[in-house]
Amino acid sequence: MRETTLTRVLTSGPVLKVIPAVVFLGLWEVGANWKDSLLIPNASTTIRSTFELVQRGETWEAMWISNQSLLLGFGMAVLTGIPSGLLMGRVRAIEKMADVWMNVLVVLPMAMLMPVIIMSLGFDLRARSLVVLLFAYPMVAVNARAGVREVPTDLIEMSRSFGAGEAQLWRKILLPAAAPAIWTGLRVGLGRAITGMILAELLLVSVGIGRLLQLYKGTFQPGNTYAIVAIVVAESLVLMAVVRRLEHRLVPWANDDAFSRT
Amino acid sequence: MIDISHVSKTFHPRAGRRGTQPVTALDDVNLTIGDNEFVTLIGPSGCGKTTLLRMVAGLTSVDEGLIRVDGKVVRGPSPDRAMVFQAFALMPWASVLRNVAFGLELRGTPKREREELARDLVRKVGLAGFEKSLPAELSGGMRQRVGIARALAVNPSVLLMDEPFGALDEQTKRMMQEELLRIWEMERKTVIFVTHSIDEAILLADRCVLMSARPGRIHEIETIHLPRPRSRADETSAEFIETKARLWDHLRSLQLAEEPKRVGV
Repeated sequence: MRETTLTRVLTSGPVLKVIPAVVFLGLWEVGANWKDSLLIPNASTTIRSTFELVQRGETWEAMWISNQSLLLGFGMAVLTGIPSGLLMGRVRAIEKMADVWMNVLVVLPMAMLMPVIIMSLGFDLRARSLVVLLFAYPMVAVNARAGVREVPTDLIEMSRSFGAGEAQLWRKILLPAAAPAIWTGLRVGLGRAITGMILAELLLVSVGIGRLLQLYKGTFQPGNTYAIVAIVVAESLVLMAVVRRLEHRLVPWANDDAFSRT
Repeated sequence: MIDISHVSKTFHPRAGRRGTQPVTALDDVNLTIGDNEFVTLIGPSGCGKTTLLRMVAGLTSVDEGLIRVDGKVVRGPSPDRAMVFQAFALMPWASVLRNVAFGLELRGTPKREREELARDLVRKVGLAGFEKSLPAELSGGMRQRVGIARALAVNPSVLLMDEPFGALDEQTKRMMQEELLRIWEMERKTVIFVTHSIDEAILLADRCVLMSARPGRIHEIETIHLPRPRSRADETSAEFIETKARLWDHLRSLQLAEEPKRVGV
């Protein structure tokens, strides 16, 4: 297609991002009005409810309570996930030992673990944080492991050839080379962590955002129910964007373009 | 001086892979390389030339026999036997300058000193002005110049080059051959250069070692009687053409000797 100002505007980032959103909101509005169910709010109602909820102190209190588990759980996931992932990538024996357990963690439905967690830790912040940790850890660790394993053998041999010891190898070759994969793990892990944060409040103990969600649902406030979901989604998007920004600044060499340019 | 003495190496298939035989990559190989000598290793695939090079580098272990460099037995890699890789092996996140200075960085040379040395080498290999560029911004030929500069930066006794121009297109390859000759003339290091190209092997070398495969052995050593410094013009000299014909003859006889084995006669 010939490149004119119009086509350039139409294919620019912001515009392309807005198009699906507009389509989605439009379909939602039309669909909800057409179906006209008491329980499914249309887009405009949801947006209004969101604005209203955002102004309530109660909403932000709930956000803070929920996010404590996110902070603790995801923080622990990063602190344990990156080192263990790196070790698994570098030491064959450790990887073999951990392999089965990692796979279990990735596929296990968390709902099944809930009773176990309740029995061991009760209903408090620790239990919720553990759920977040379990959701996020496998992603962080597996990506860190992949990052190290995919470092080209050439680079490792080259550094050994020029006299690098193990510590130097890590600092100067393995960590920089694995950094893009580690950041992917952080991003994906964060997404899973947020899911875990909410699920813990729905299945485990009703506090924070989870409590509000169940409250609005139980008292037939569809607008607010959807609005709470929208707020959580918004938080996810913001956090993801922050991580992406950091990623771009700290690992600028991460992007290898596979997109066609024609 | 490099002394390769009764060196053998067998590669065993990984446990569980049925049907694959152990491969004798090298069988009782003996070779002595003098100081400042430029030696090329050529031969068909599987003849062990890269394995031999990696053993001198210390990246592959020796099963039997000994390799001594300047009297000391090779037990592992060392910047004293610096390597230039076919796939360049540059750090994609570092500038040309940092890549060239990498060996010095690992050694602990202070930043100012190593940057100065690196700058000098960058100039010597013809990359002046590209000190801050990233490898992704360079062509293949330029990346290999970085690889060569990096190897020279640590002032090694031996330069080991594993098909360094193999990944380059024909024109760039020819240009790099001339560049290498020019750089080598500046300080004549001992070089072991592995290649598939007979032309390249003859043009660059003082001696050309032809190896045979299955098992890997030295088949023939040709001394190249062309005067230094060499240039592209030497390719049309009688000496070059005769040497090339002889080496091709040897290669063909090696290939013919292989045929009956393959057909199962």
